[in-house]
Amino acid sequence: MLHILGWPALAAAMIALPHGLSFSQQEILVFLTINVLLVTSYRLLTLTGEWSLGHVVMMGVGAYASALYTKELGIFVPLSMLLGAVTAALIALILSFPLLRMKGFYFLIGSFAAGEIIRLLWKRFRNPFGGPKGIKKIDPMPDFDAGFYSFDFFEPVSYYYFALVVVGVSLWIMWRIERSPVGLTFHAVHWQDKLAEAAGVNVRAYRTRAFVIASGFAGLSGTLLAHYIGTINPNSFDVEMMVFVLTWAIVGGTATFYGPIIGCIVLTILNEIVLREMGFEQMRPLIYGLLLICSVLFLPKGLESVVQGLLARRKDSPASGEEKA
Amino acid sequence: MFRKLGLSTLSRRWFLGAAASVAGATAVSGLSTRVMAAGKVIKIGFLAPLTGPVSAWGKPGLDGCEIWADWINAAGGIKLADGNYMVEFVAYDNEYDPAKARTGATKLIREEGVSFVMMLGGDTWPGAQPVADKTGMLFSTLLPSDLAPDTTTLIAPTEVHPIYNVTGVEWLAENKPDLKTAVMCAQDDALGLPSVATYLAAFEAEGIEMLAEPLLFDPATTDFAPVVTKLLAKSPQIFCLDTCYSDYVHPICEQLFQQGYKGQIISCTADFYDQMIEKTSVEFMEGFIFQFPDFDDPALNADFINFKDPNKFYEEYNKRHPGEWGAVSWEYASIMDLWKAAAEKAGSAEPADVLAAMKEGGKGQHAFGTADWWGKDLFGIDNALVGDWPVVVIEGGKARIKGFKSIPEWYAKHGDLLKKHMAAYGQMWDQRT
Amino acid sequence: MVELLAQTGLNAIYAASYMSLVAVGLVLIFGVMGVINFAHGELYMLGAYAVVGLYADFQMPFIFAIAVGLVFVGVVGLGMERALFRPLRDNPLGGLVASIGFLMVLQALAVMGFGVRMEHVPPVTQEVIVFSEKVRLAVPRLFVIIAAVVLLTALWVFLKKTRFGWALRASAQDPEAAALQGISINQTSRIAMFIGAGLAGIAGALTAPLVSVNPYMGHSVIITAFIVIIVGGIGSLEGAVIAAVAYAFIHTIVTTFWDGVIANIVGLSLMLAVLIVKPTGLFGTADRA
Repeated sequence: MLHILGWPALAAAMIALPHGLSFSQQEILVFLTINVLLVTSYRLLTLTGEWSLGHVVMMGVGAYASALYTKELGIFVPLSMLLGAVTAALIALILSFPLLRMKGFYFLIGSFAAGEIIRLLWKRFRNPFGGPKGIKKIDPMPDFDAGFYSFDFFEPVSYYYFALVVVGVSLWIMWRIERSPVGLTFHAVHWQDKLAEAAGVNVRAYRTRAFVIASGFAGLSGTLLAHYIGTINPNSFDVEMMVFVLTWAIVGGTATFYGPIIGCIVLTILNEIVLREMGFEQMRPLIYGLLLICSVLFLPKGLESVVQGLLARRKDSPASGEEKA
Repeated sequence: MFRKLGLSTLSRRWFLGAAASVAGATAVSGLSTRVMAAGKVIKIGFLAPLTGPVSAWGKPGLDGCEIWADWINAAGGIKLADGNYMVEFVAYDNEYDPAKARTGATKLIREEGVSFVMMLGGDTWPGAQPVADKTGMLFSTLLPSDLAPDTTTLIAPTEVHPIYNVTGVEWLAENKPDLKTAVMCAQDDALGLPSVATYLAAFEAEGIEMLAEPLLFDPATTDFAPVVTKLLAKSPQIFCLDTCYSDYVHPICEQLFQQGYKGQIISCTADFYDQMIEKTSVEFMEGFIFQFPDFDDPALNADFINFKDPNKFYEEYNKRHPGEWGAVSWEYASIMDLWKAAAEKAGSAEPADVLAAMKEGGKGQHAFGTADWWGKDLFGIDNALVGDWPVVVIEGGKARIKGFKSIPEWYAKHGDLLKKHMAAYGQMWDQRT
Repeated sequence: MVELLAQTGLNAIYAASYMSLVAVGLVLIFGVMGVINFAHGELYMLGAYAVVGLYADFQMPFIFAIAVGLVFVGVVGLGMERALFRPLRDNPLGGLVASIGFLMVLQALAVMGFGVRMEHVPPVTQEVIVFSEKVRLAVPRLFVIIAAVVLLTALWVFLKKTRFGWALRASAQDPEAAALQGISINQTSRIAMFIGAGLAGIAGALTAPLVSVNPYMGHSVIITAFIVIIVGGIGSLEGAVIAAVAYAFIHTIVTTFWDGVIANIVGLSLMLAVLIVKPTGLFGTADRA
C-alpha cells in the first residue's frame, strides 16, 4: 500500500518543491540535485570497497568534454551531455589500467594523483582547456515548449525539472545495477574478494566495471553543471570539492543506497542555507568542521542509521502493541 | 521537435514577472512585494569573496564601503527625485566560485531587491552574467577584462587593470632612461596574464628589452627562490612583478634582497610595503615603482581628484581596521561615489537610468580625475572608465605619488603594441573562450 | 651556468629540509596509528602562527617562539589523538573525516584570530652567506637546514636507541604483536602524535619568516607531503627523508629550468609511477594498507 502511494507522492512533492522556495534557494536546489547524482555515483564505486579521491575530477572530465563538444564541434546539447558522460567513462577505463592494480590506501592516493594530473593539464593548456580561467559561455540547454509548460532553461525551476529527470533515471539505473547479479558481485568483491576469486570471479574486471560506471555518472553530473552555470574552471573540481563529496558519503553512511543522498542534502542545506542565514560568514567553516567531527564521533554509522532506526521502530510498534494486547 | 523560442527580452521579463508573482503568492516570504517596494532604504549588493584565499580582494572593499555608507547616511543619504534614501550594503560571499556567484546574484537581485551589484569579477562574473542579463541589473567589476560586447550592464569604473600598468613603465622610462633590460614574473591565473601582455607592450613602447619570456608561476607557490634565481641569472636592470598578489610580492622581494639584487623593481601593487621594508631595507626598497597610493598622500587633495576626503577616509579606515589598508580598500567606495552622483543626476535608482546618467557625454568622474568611457578596442565595449592613473614611488620608506599619467594618451601612441601582445596571450575580448 | 646550478642546489637543500620535517611527521603518524592525518598541513600552519603571535606580535626571542611552537603544536597533536583518533581507531575512514573537520576548524580559527591577509614576520636576521656574486644563502634558510638535520638525527637516535623509540617501531610494524608484548598502544600513539605534530609545527615556525603566512598555507604542504611519503614508502622514515630530498631537488630544478606547473605534474607523475611499479614505495616495508 505504502509503495503504491509512496512513489507518486514523492514525485508530486519533488515537482512542487521549487515553488515553495525563494529564488536563490531554487538555485541551490539545482546544485543539490546534481550533487545527489555525484554522490550516489560515488557510492556505486565504494560498493567494491574502493574509495577514490579522483571522483570529482571525473565529474570535471564530463563537464569539460561536453563543454568542448558543444563549443568546438557544435554538437546539440543533450547529446553532448551523453557524450560527456561517455568520455568520462572512457577516461576512467584508461585510468583503470594503472590505478586498479592498487588497493585500499594506495588506490586512494593513486586516484588523487591521477586526478591532480588531469587538473594540472587543464590548468596548463589554455588551448583547448582555457587554462586557469577555464571555459566560459558554454551553450545552455535549448529552451523548448512542451505545451503545458514552457521550459526556459535559464530558470532554475526548469533546469531543476530537467536535472530531476536525468538524475532520477540515473539513480534508477544505479539502483538496478546494485540489485542485479553484477551488483551482488560488487558486494562480494568488497567483502570476500579471495572467496570470489576462488569462485572464478574476475575481481579486477568487476572493480573496473564499477569504476567506469561510477565515473560515467559522475561525468554526467558534470555536464549538467556545465550547461547550467555556463562556465567551468579547474578550481570547480579540486580537492575541496572532493572532500565535500567524501564527507557527504561518510556522514550519510554508505551501507544503504540513500545514505549518501541524505548526507548530501543535510550537509548542503546546512552549509548553504542555515549557516549563511545565521550570518556567521567566517564561522561557517568552523561550524561545518565541528559538525563533521561530531557526526563521525557520535554517529559512526552515518545519518542513514538514524533513518533506519526510525523505520525499525515504526515496524516494531504495531507488533508490540499487539503483544501487549 | 525542440525549438529555441525567440522570446524577446520584453516577453521574457514579463514571464519572469508572472512567475515571480505566482511564486510570491505561494511562497512564505512574499518576495515580489520586496522587489517592488522602494521604502526609505536603497540596498546595494556586494557580491565578492569574503572568505577563502581570494578574500583579500573583496573583504577590505566591503569595509571601505561601510565607512562610505556611514558618511553618506550621516549627511542625509542619497537624494533622489522622490526623497532621501539611506544606503545599506547587502553582502554575499561568493567564495570566488561562479556557481555561488550565480546563487548570490539571484538572491541579491530577486530577493533582496538591490539597485546595484558590485563584484570583484574574474572567474565569478561568467557565473553571475546570465542573471545580470535576465534582470537587466547594473553590475560593476574591478576587472575590465570581464567586459565584452554583450555585457551591456557591466561597468568597470575604477580599477583599470591591467592597462594602468603602462603609466608606471612610462614614468620609469622618462625618469631613468639608462635602464634598458627587464625580466618579469607573474602568477598563472586570470589576473596575471592580461597584465603580462600589458607590461610587455609598455616595455616595448619604451624600447626596453625583455631578457627572457615572462615567467608564469603556479599560484600555489610558496618558495620563490627558484623563480628569482632563474630570472636573476640574466642580470636584468629592471625586475617586474606584474600583478602579483601581496602574498607573492613580499616573498619575491625578500628573495631578490637575499640573492643580492640591486636593480629597479616595478610592480602593480605593494600592499603593506612597510613590512617589505622591514624584511629588506629602506635602501633596497628605495625607488620601488607601483600603482596604488596611500590615501594620506597630499597629492590626492588636488582639485581634479574625485574621491571625497581621501585623507580622512584613510584615517578612518586605519582606525577601524588597523594594518589592513590595501589596494582594494577604497576602490569599491569610489565606485559608489560614481553611482551616487549618477543616481542623483537621474533622480532614480533604476539600473537603466543610472547607467545612462553615468555615461552621458562619454565622460565620467573617475576617482583620479575626469575620464573617458573607453574600451571598444580592447574589450569590445566602452564600459571602462579610463583616464589618468597615479605613479607611486617609495622614497625614504614612504610611498609618494610622483605624477599622474594619462592612459588614453598612451593608448593613442602605442595602442597597436598593446593589442598585439594581448592577442599573443589570448587576452583580447574576441579570443576569450 | 655553474652559479645557476649552485644556487639552485642551495634552494633545493632548503626545500628538502622543511619538506622532510613535515613528511617524517606524517609518516610517523600513519605508520604508528594507521590514520591519514589530513590536518597535517594545518599543524604546519599553526606552528607558523605561533611564531607570528609570539615573535612578531609579542617580540619574544625567535628561539623561544619556535620552541613554544614545537611544544604547542605537539600538544595540539596530543589533543587530536585523544579526541579524534583514539575513539576512531577502528574506523580509519572516520579518522580521515575527523581530521578533515579539524583542518576546517583550524583554518577558521586562524582566520578569526588573525584575519585572512598574510601575516608579517620580521626577519630574524638579514645576514646572508655569500659564496659568490650569484650564489648566496640567507642565514634564516640556513637555520631551517640546520634544524632539519638536528631534529631528524635526534629522532633517529630516539627511535633506534631508546625504549620508547623501539616501542614505536614495533607498533608500526605489527600493532597486535606489540600489544602482546605489553606495549601500550595509547602511549605509542601519543608519542607518535606529539612528535609528528611537533615536527610539522616546527617546520612551520622556522619557515614563517620566509614564506607568506596565511590560514591556507597548509594546503600545498600536505599535497607535497603525500607525494613524498608515497614515493618514499608509507612505513619508512628513512624513505621519507630520502624521498623529500629527491623530490625537492627534482621540483626545484624543473621549476628553475621549466616552470612550476610542469614541476607539479612531474612530481605527481613520479608518485603515480611509484604506485604502479612498487606501491609500497621505494623504501617501504610494512604493508599498512
